Order: sequence, then structure tokens, then C-alpha cells
Amino acid sequence: MTRSGSGPELSRRTLLRWGAIAGAGVTLGPLLNACAGPTGTPGPGTLTLALNRSLISLDNKLNQFDAAVTVQRGVRQALTMVGQDLKPRLVLADRFELTAPTQWTVHLRDGVRYSDGSPVTVQDVTTALEMYQQVNGSFIAGFFSEFPTVVPVDDATFVLQTERPIPVLDYLMANILVTPSGSNRPEELQEGIGSGPYVMRSGNRGTGNYSLAVNENYWGTKPRVPNVQVRFVPEESSRVVSLRSGEVDVIDSITPDSADQLAGLPGVRITRTPSTRINQLFYNFRKPQGHPLADPRVREALTYAIDGRALVQDVLVGSVTQADGVVPTGLEGAVKTGEYVYDPQQAKQRLDALGVRDLELKIIWESGEFASDTSVMEAVLQMLGQVGVRSTLQQFEPGGDILSWRQGKAGDWDVLGNGFSSPTGLAVSILQGMYAGTPEKEQTRDTYQGYVVPSIAAQIADASAEPDAARRAQLLSDAQKAVWATWPCLWAFVPNAVLASRDRVGDISLAPTNSYDLASARLEG
Amino acid sequence: MSTTHPGPARVQRSEPRPSAVTAKHLARAKVTRQRRGSKLKLWAGLVCTLIVVIPVALARVLPLPGPDQQDLASRRLAPFTDGHLFGTDQLGRDLLSRVLHGGQVSLLVGLLAVVVSGVIGVVLGAAAGYFGGWIDTVVSRLLEAQLSLPLLMMLLLVVALFGPSIPVITFVIAIAQWPEVARLTRSLVLVEREKPYVAAARVLGLHRFAILLRHVLPNVVKQASLVVLLLLAQAVLLESALSYLGAGPQRPFATWGRIISDGQDYITTSWWMVTLPGLVIVALVVGVNLLGDGLRDRARRRKASTS
Repeated sequence: MTRSGSGPELSRRTLLRWGAIAGAGVTLGPLLNACAGPTGTPGPGTLTLALNRSLISLDNKLNQFDAAVTVQRGVRQALTMVGQDLKPRLVLADRFELTAPTQWTVHLRDGVRYSDGSPVTVQDVTTALEMYQQVNGSFIAGFFSEFPTVVPVDDATFVLQTERPIPVLDYLMANILVTPSGSNRPEELQEGIGSGPYVMRSGNRGTGNYSLAVNENYWGTKPRVPNVQVRFVPEESSRVVSLRSGEVDVIDSITPDSADQLAGLPGVRITRTPSTRINQLFYNFRKPQGHPLADPRVREALTYAIDGRALVQDVLVGSVTQADGVVPTGLEGAVKTGEYVYDPQQAKQRLDALGVRDLELKIIWESGEFASDTSVMEAVLQMLGQVGVRSTLQQFEPGGDILSWRQGKAGDWDVLGNGFSSPTGLAVSILQGMYAGTPEKEQTRDTYQGYVVPSIAAQIADASAEPDAARRAQLLSDAQKAVWATWPCLWAFVPNAVLASRDRVGDISLAPTNSYDLASARLEG
Repeated sequence: MSTTHPGPARVQRSEPRPSAVTAKHLARAKVTRQRRGSKLKLWAGLVCTLIVVIPVALARVLPLPGPDQQDLASRRLAPFTDGHLFGTDQLGRDLLSRVLHGGQVSLLVGLLAVVVSGVIGVVLGAAAGYFGGWIDTVVSRLLEAQLSLPLLMMLLLVVALFGPSIPVITFVIAIAQWPEVARLTRSLVLVEREKPYVAAARVLGLHRFAILLRHVLPNVVKQASLVVLLLLAQAVLLESALSYLGAGPQRPFATWGRIISDGQDYITTSWWMVTLPGLVIVALVVGVNLLGDGLRDRARRRKASTS
């Protein structure tokens, strides 16, 4: 007989269903809770850094983006370093003197040793210089007009001999990291020992995560933070959320908008300092004769289309300054060479007068090259469109083949969004790296986007070899003005270095090179 | 049908039922609830889908600013400010316009992808089911092999190899989805081919292709097309996922995934840049799924009532 109840019936199936739901809740609840919250806050003795680019090595032969310097210098050291005031300071050497126009005499500090206890030797310096010369596509090699030769004097003293004077060799040698000669190779070293305050406990170049511990054999004052975790967090929003939740202690290279978001939060501190970096929309100098972009007048005309004030104030929220030179004017030896002027009418008139019509430009860049990069590119696209120049954008994700494109091997392009920093704090370093290209270097595509102007390269070479400071400054000034007259950039700006950290992290002194000394950091709680 | 078989409520009004089963019981019965739920799903799905699809289709005629028209002085305006219904993004572009125009790209990719995957799936599935033998073996192993691959990884790999253009993205999503349709079509054809009308057609001397095309396929294509409709939602989601991961069409093309990806940097200060496009995707995907479910339920009921 059919039972006709008045209320809802609790069937066996319903009971089992609710039982299963309750069981799943009990089982999965803690798991879901763990997923929703931070995956683990750093311990009291662990400083956690989240980098925006993957640190593929603790060696700098091939890559040295700004944030990497902090970690690489924590493990490996050079004879000198560039300090907060952008002046060289002695590290592994306790003497680094210009004793003749082409000779620097160097003495290794007593007691400097690697993490395995072995001493730093003159031979290690010799090998390091050789390895930096031999590696293909070296970032550092571009800053050297020539590599010095090491002439040993005694166990700890040697002479760095050059053919032409290099009066800024003490700055340049801050980028040559010294490794035991037996384990140094002409490639980025994945493991190995260094003389820095930390040793690598574990690392994964694929994920970009590294774990550092204090070097028990460190020759200097031991760091106050026992452990450092380095994580690769490419998404800016993830870095910001991680910092807010306390999952990481320090993040860098954040957009002005994110910095504003974080600025008012309790427990978070924002540090800003003018940087030694210049970000540019750089023209492709590998265009054949007859192409509009091969004509400096066309390159100049296009610059009038860019509303730099709007980009600085509205897109980059005042966190940058429009470049008024070919290098950041805060660098030693930099001069103001001119200004980018926004006048779309003039841009049209000049392009018409030059007979340039239906110009199409392809703009390429790699995500994360600079803060707010995509917004800048999309704004530039519209600005060019307003003067009748059609543009297309091609964005490369990190790890893509933009290097082949830049070298003109993978495809054609017209404007590259790129940043260039001076790890030495000297104007001459950027000039050397960007504008001193020669036909010989272009054979191997080792020039900066094909920029080869022999007269300018000669001027830069003369300036970098000039021992007299006043004369060198004059030569550098002339070289910068000559570069500006070639209109190498559609637009350029100098960003501030920005660092956000939790309050528990103290004594982080952000240098204009967008790096800081890990050994001086301290943790509270 | 309703005239010959009046509903329970009507019976109760005219004369008392000779049964202990009252109208209240019938209204609470599983079948009635399922029918009511199916109707609700159908209508809710239709409304959700149309709320998104109609404005997207009319994006070009609606009085909206261009999707790429920037106004740097009006960055990140909140919804309902200065005539911007959805607010503006980080470059002062009208977010509603970008969402609607982005929807055209996403829906176009989704529609093309399901049409291509539907055609491939129905053809291969029908051939495998009807002809059997080595054709079935090849098609079945192929779709099993593809189903065992991680879908998003495969899509990212193909896009990385051939470049992120709309035809490539459409093609890879279509290729990714054909196994679902093929598997269903194969099983439906396996059932149909054993039915007497197929045997009769064979006895009459019709060619095997003719039987498949003229008699078997018309009987399975309706159910297969419902699966294709459900795949539309998946295709839109896949396209959004690819764009979100940076493998969508190049900028400044607005696509839903990219709008959300760009907006996530501002999530704590400009919630609308992520939330509103996200809600639009949710509305479409939920709507299409409910619509597909509702249609499938209705088709099943009709089939049951006719058999």
C-alpha cells in the first residue's frame, strides 16, 4: 500500500546523500581551507623574496636583470661593488688602484675564502675574466671595451693590464663574479661555491625557486637572517597578494598602481629611489636603406606623435620621468641632450613632407620588461594611429624567442620595448653597451638592435679610454649629443626603482641599481 | 496530446480521483519535479544566454565608444560613471564596449570551433559506429589517445608552435573537442544500425553510404547536436583561458580572458575590471549549459513518449 505522509520523507537515499556530503565536507574542508589561505608564511628566520623574472642561475654571465643582482651577489662576489652612492667599494680586494694609465694594481683581502673554506686566489680572477670573454651572448662583456689581462705579482697581488686606458675598471669589475677556477666554465653556473654571505642549499632553474642558507665560512660579518627563500612569481597581482597576506617579505618591480594599492596598507612599506635604468621604445636599426625608419628624420617625426606627459602622468602615474637624454641623467657622466615633444600635427606634417604615407610599424616587447608595459604599448598604438601610422603589437611571454627576433633572426619588427640599466652607475657603461656597436659585432648580431655608427663608437671608445676626468666628461657629452641626433628611440623614460616589503624586514637599502645587500637585512619576529 | 490525456489537476477539478494518489502527490512526484526543473532550466538558460548573446551581437550598433578608444584622463572609472555602464579600464577604455566586442571574438571562436569539431566528430563517429572494423579501431584509438592528453597543455603547445591567431586558436579548440562528439555519435550509430529499418534498407539494396547518410544520421544528429551546444560553453571557456594565459590573439584585440588578465592587477582597487567580465562569462557558460541540459531532457521525454 502506498504510504501518504504529510511531511517530507527522509528516505534511505536522502540519508546516504546527506551523509556523503557531510563526509566530503569533513574530509575536504581542511584541504579547501589550506588552498584558500596562504600556502605558508615564512618562518621567523627566513626571508622570502618574490621575483618577477625567473632566476635561472646564481651566475651573471648571461643574465643580470635588476632583481637578480641582489641574489647573485648574496652567493658570489666580485673584487668591488657599486654602492648606494653609485661609487665603487672594495669587496674581495682591499686595494684597487690605478697605478699607470693602463694598469690597475689589485690586492686580495686577507682571509677571503669560499664557502668550502678554500681561499680566493689570483688564478680565480684570471679564470673568471677568461670565462666572461668566452661565453656567447654575454650581457657583461658588452660593457668592456676590452678585457684586462691578469699579471700576478705575488700570492694576493696582481695587475690588471689593458692595451688602452680603462679609467672606470674598478666600476666594471664589480660585475665579474669570482668562482674557484676549477669549477668555472664559459656558461652560467648552476651550482658551485662562492665567497658570498650565503650558500645555495637547493635550487630549481625551471621553477626559479632557490633556497639559501648562511655561509658558515663567510669571511666577513655574518648576515643576520639565517635563511633566504627566492621564489619566481611572474604575475604581479599574485606577488601583491602574497605580500599582503604575509606569504612573502619582499617584492620588486611593481607597477605604480600596485605600489599605490600597497602604500596605505598596515605592515607594508614602499621604498622608491631613482634608478639607473632607461626604458625605451627603440627603433630597429637593421632596416635596409630606403626603408622609412632608416632615415633619422622619419624617426624624429614619429617622436612627435607620442604624448609623453600623458604616458608619464596617466599610464605610469608619475612614477617615471621622461628621458631628456640618451642615458638616465642621474648617472655619472650623463648630460641632457634634448626632450621629446608632443605635437601630432607636426608629426603628420613632417611625415608628409618626407613622403612617408601608409607607414605600418610592428612593436614587439617581452611581458614584464618594465612595469605597465602592455598599457604603455597600447597607449602608444593609439597615439601613432592618430597621426596615421598603423601599428601592430606582438607581445612575447617570458621564455619566448624574443632574443631571436631582436637579433633579426626570427622575424621583422620596427620598434622594440626594452630596458637597459647601468650596473656600474656610469653613463659610459650604457653608451658602451648600446651605442658602441661595430660592423664586426654586427656580423654576430651582438650590437644593440643593429645600432652601428662608427663615428659614435669611436667617440665612446675615446671617452672610455680617457684618463683625464674633465676631458672624459667632454667626450662623453659629445658622444651623447651625437647619439641623440640619430633619434634612436620613439620614446624613453627613466623609472624609479620600487620595492615593497613587510614591516618585519629591516635595513634593506635599495640602491639605484634596483638591488640591495642581502647580508645587511634583518628580520623582526 | 494534452486534449486526450488531461493533466492531474484538471482531473481533480472535474471529478474525484479513484485513487489515494492526490494531485499534491503528483505535483511532488519525481517525474513532475524533473519536468518542472527541465522547463526552468530551459528558460533560465535561454534568458542567461540571450542576456549575453544579444548585446554581443549588437555591439557594433549600440551607442558605445570603440573598444580600443582610449581616454587616459578617464582611467579606471567606476561603473555608472560618466555614462560608462561597466566603468573604464586602465587606459580609460569603456569596459562594456570591450566586453561586448571581446565577446564577439570569443563567441566567434567558440561557434567556429564547435561547428568544425561537430562536423569532424559526427563524420568520424558515424563512420566508426556504422562501418566498424579497422575504421572503428583507428578512430577509437585516435580519440582515446587524444582524450588522454592534458587539454590545455596541448592547446598551449599548438598555439606556441603556430602563433596565436584566430584561425589557429579556432582550429586547435575544434581539434580538442571532436572526441566528445565522435564518441557520442559512434554509440548512437551503434544502436541505430541494429534497428529493423536499417536491415530493411539493406535488403532493398541501398548502398551502405546512402543508408548511413539518409537514414541513420538523421536519427542521431539531433542528440549529437545537443552535445555540440554544450561544447560551445567549453570552447568559450577554453578561448578565454588561452587569452588569460597570454596565448590569445595579439593585442589590442579585446578578448574576455585578456580583459580579466589585464584587470587582475587592479583587483583590489578596481573590482569591476575583473568581476564584470567574469560575470558575463559565467552568465553565458551557465546559460548555454542549462539550455543544453533542458533541450536534452525535452528530447528524452519526447523520445520516451513516442516509443
